[in-house]
Amino acid sequence: MDWLATILVFLPVAGALVVWLFPWPRQSAGALALLVALAEVGVWINALIRFDFGAQGLEFEQRTEWFSDLEVSYHVGFFGYSLWLTGLTVVVLAAAIGYGLWSGRDRPRAYYGLMLFLTGAVVGVFAAQDLLLFYVFWEAMLIPLYVLIGVWGGAGRLGATIKFVIYTMAGSLLMLAAVIVFGLSQNTFDLVDSGRSGSAWLFLGFAAAFAVKAPLFPLHGWLPDAYRESSPEVAAVLSGVVSKAAVYGFLRIALEKFPGPVDDFRNLILVLAAAGLVYGSLLAFRAPDLRGIVAYSSLAQLGLITLGLFAGNQAGLDGAVLQMVNHGLVSAALFMLAGGIERRAATGELGRLGGMARGRPALATLVMATGIIALAVPGATTFAGEFLILAGVFRQGWGWAVVGAAGIVLAAMYMLRFISAVLHQEPGPAVSEDALDLRPAELGILVPLVGCLLALSVWPAAITDRSFSPGATERLEAAGWTGYAPITANDGCVQRGLGISCPEIRTAP
Amino acid sequence: MTPAAWLCLLSPLGASVLITLAGTRISRRAAGYLATASVAVSFVAAVVAFVAVLGRESENRSDLTTAWTWLSAGNFEVGLTLLVDPLSIFMMLVVSGVGSLIVGYSIGYMDGDDEERRYFAYMALFVFSMPLLVEGGNFLLLLVGWGLVGLCSYLLIGYHHDRPSAVAAAKKAFIMNAFGDATMALAFFLLIQRIGSLEFAAGFDWAEGAEGSWAVNLVALGLLGGAVAKSAQVPLQTWLPDAMEGPTPVSALIHAATMVTAGVYLLVRTAPVFEAAPHVQDLAAGLGAFTLVLAGLIALVQVDIKRVIAYSTMSQIGYMFLGAGLGAYANAMFHLMTHAFFKALLFLAAGIVIHALAGEQDMRRMGGLRRVLPRTWLAFLVGSLALSGIPPFSGFFSKDAILASALDAGWYGQLLFAVGLAGAFLTGLYTFRMVFLVFGGEQSAYAREHVHRPDRSEPWVWMGVTVGVLTVGAVVAGWIQIAGIWHPLADFLHPVAEPLVEPSGTQDAIASLLAVGLGLAGIWLAWLVYADRRMTVPAARPLRALLEHKFYFDEAYDWLFYKPGVWLARGLAALVERPVVGGSLTGIGIGARRAGGEVAEAQTGLVRTYALVIAAGVATLALVFVWVR
Repeated sequence: MDWLATILVFLPVAGALVVWLFPWPRQSAGALALLVALAEVGVWINALIRFDFGAQGLEFEQRTEWFSDLEVSYHVGFFGYSLWLTGLTVVVLAAAIGYGLWSGRDRPRAYYGLMLFLTGAVVGVFAAQDLLLFYVFWEAMLIPLYVLIGVWGGAGRLGATIKFVIYTMAGSLLMLAAVIVFGLSQNTFDLVDSGRSGSAWLFLGFAAAFAVKAPLFPLHGWLPDAYRESSPEVAAVLSGVVSKAAVYGFLRIALEKFPGPVDDFRNLILVLAAAGLVYGSLLAFRAPDLRGIVAYSSLAQLGLITLGLFAGNQAGLDGAVLQMVNHGLVSAALFMLAGGIERRAATGELGRLGGMARGRPALATLVMATGIIALAVPGATTFAGEFLILAGVFRQGWGWAVVGAAGIVLAAMYMLRFISAVLHQEPGPAVSEDALDLRPAELGILVPLVGCLLALSVWPAAITDRSFSPGATERLEAAGWTGYAPITANDGCVQRGLGISCPEIRTAP
Repeated sequence: MTPAAWLCLLSPLGASVLITLAGTRISRRAAGYLATASVAVSFVAAVVAFVAVLGRESENRSDLTTAWTWLSAGNFEVGLTLLVDPLSIFMMLVVSGVGSLIVGYSIGYMDGDDEERRYFAYMALFVFSMPLLVEGGNFLLLLVGWGLVGLCSYLLIGYHHDRPSAVAAAKKAFIMNAFGDATMALAFFLLIQRIGSLEFAAGFDWAEGAEGSWAVNLVALGLLGGAVAKSAQVPLQTWLPDAMEGPTPVSALIHAATMVTAGVYLLVRTAPVFEAAPHVQDLAAGLGAFTLVLAGLIALVQVDIKRVIAYSTMSQIGYMFLGAGLGAYANAMFHLMTHAFFKALLFLAAGIVIHALAGEQDMRRMGGLRRVLPRTWLAFLVGSLALSGIPPFSGFFSKDAILASALDAGWYGQLLFAVGLAGAFLTGLYTFRMVFLVFGGEQSAYAREHVHRPDRSEPWVWMGVTVGVLTVGAVVAGWIQIAGIWHPLADFLHPVAEPLVEPSGTQDAIASLLAVGLGLAGIWLAWLVYADRRMTVPAARPLRALLEHKFYFDEAYDWLFYKPGVWLARGLAALVERPVVGGSLTGIGIGARRAGGEVAEAQTGLVRTYALVIAAGVATLALVFVWVR
């Protein structure tokens, strides 16, 4: 019995309760929340050190019966990739709480409590090894978000929240129905014990929920408003972390439990992902404001990650996991930078910004560094992720990789536009002489994020080597990926170089 | 020699990081010294590696060391692998050698700029990236270096970031290079699909086995795309002239001596792939020949001194492509080296002129500077003679070696030889047009008014000394290899890239005679028109317009790619995003509100009713799922 996973999930929840229940003075609620978030990062580092990446199967596994007659249990644990996503979550949430503390939020106890609760819920999504538990955490993750956008957002927050609620509720209900039917038909809700399913409808139920939440083109109607209207740190969490919970769902549930339908719908999903990549990039290129660029670039990046997930081979998967972490850090840093710029200029409109590089070296360096990493300059960890994803999806058909490569060029176009609009040319009308450089507190929030990205750039294999049990695909199978068709060699799959190709896999319903 | 290779990389990287982190805690001058010292250390390290490699047998001069696995996926692994062999050492020597001179020159040139520290941090970062490119021991690391030099180029072109034209030029350079990066990446994907590896050796073996197949041709094409973008060859050449927005030493180091010649390095490094795809290799040579004439023609009508030199760079790289494409690898590398010297010299001497004229770059406002700046005039003249290929200056030896090789490469080579000769004539003409306009004749009114002479202050000393060293280099660099007499460089590079053509003594003589004769003819014509003023330039308006608009490439690309892209983006935003994606929900919202009014009666306020309804709904959905399954 290892309590580490449980601690990771419930430490922030306990912190949230403490923040909510006691009458803390204004500043100390935030400080306490930040302390809890940093402690959570510490626990995660401890988990990272203790994690045996060479082992097969779940680590830090803990299982207790919940509803025994339905085979529902409290079952948590981590695989390599879920540990990395947990790390992304705790780091970004700690930065977001720090940002909230620095910029000062009304009703601090409610606000910080919700942020901590959100942390626990997202970690729970990554740790849950039982479908019902997964669903509980999934909903627990969405509820604080509704409140965070609706109460602490900008002027148009109400409309943004309504859109967000309608979209995600629709997805969630489809997923709940799918969860129930899947669990009942398998006679267990356990994610490790349950077998595969060949049901296209169940697959689509899950896929809809994940696709809405990611979001995937064309289900992103809630995205521009939600990312623009929420406060910067909430937008950072939404695009950096919560979207990853959705693609994680693809990885852990859709790919693993529904190999047959995945094969059937692969081309459709690849088309949507590629369309989202190009569409998001083009809209980012013409977006009129900072947040618009980051928001649509998120749409593009999630399309890219989905391309990798559905590439159906190791390169695509490894690249997708790496890119999830990369994009989480990048978009969190970009949203918080955009927030800092909006505080100084009182606007995010590109036409009214400019010239901020002169006299503000810290801001210039960080905007430049983050922007350059975001556009995936060769050598950056984002480049490593994109390269693996595209190398993987190339094996599904060269056309996907060509579209992806076009995406690389477009990414350069919109990110350079972002950089130049903020930093270069003459100061814009909204930029006054006395707009300050980044303050030490902001540096304390942003430098660790960029530092993580630089460290990963030196050694991206830290993640790609340690996401799925090491090396060979057959060990992947032992790591709980029994359901993922292209991985079991005895299903008539053929190993072709990097990937494995399985043309016809069907499991009995 | 591997530790030396690491030092060559890490010393400038360390300086760059240090300058960035130190910020205002070190003086501007100190940042300059630090950067120069780090690049000098890099050069010393390259020399140490060179000496070490000379001590070995010529078959045993290649070292491949992996520091750690950089990227992996299953059994596909790419290491952080350094390759130290004659070719990479040769490039390291050129880059860090010319680099240390140019960074030292910058201490003088950038004196008084208020963001010098940033400049030196970028320059040092470049001198880290370029050795990474040439030392990269596999295709992926090559691409990493490739991208990082492009990044440095972007940062330095846009160094004067308050100038809109500089920012636009920087973006243009980055995006055109990103296009090249993308074609290279696609070639590598194909390679991964075929052999599951990005090691040079594995790739070359596969290419040899798959000679002539469409896959090899595609890989070679992808590589060529990268080379063409980086080296500003047709059709991806339009970014280089705009790149002259960067400070002059940047133009000298990145956009003349080193980075833009990376395409030639790529052609030589991956020669086995191109040899397995002979048509693509021919295409490379053809593009080089085309570019060298095109750029020479455009250079004839430029009025900005830096742009003339920029076009001459494109033209000279065209010669290198011609040579490398025909298989005269060592000769292409030889020209790369001499070109690094004389082109850096020309840029830096032009920098002194610009500095002395308070930033003026328009040649029409110059004139008569030879009396004011006699030593600069001498240096510029040496550089120009070397560029025009007049013996005994360095350009003569290397350019004529390429032309002679072309004579030996069949009918196609002979065709390109003729094109190269035309280029030699144009080179003499546009180069000496520039020389006579800037230094000849009477002093212009502008020059009389604005000129301030070099003195013995520290900035001028840095600039004078480095230009002096380069002047000597531009004279003697060609002597390390004299066709038909001795060829140590070709022998040194032989184990890496064996030449496909071996010109005979007669061919050498014919090439030299014709090229020098035509070069002199060009100079003579320039003298007639711009010094003696006996002849005037014919009006020929349409031709002039064609040249002044650089053959309308910019306009064409604008209409073909940029504008349609913008239209598409605007169209998607107006026709899809707002009405369909965003609007669907507004529709739902309105509908919901209307329906909400009607269903409001269902709001009994009893939680148990709500729970019941939700449960019923989910159960229905569940039933539907069970049923349709």
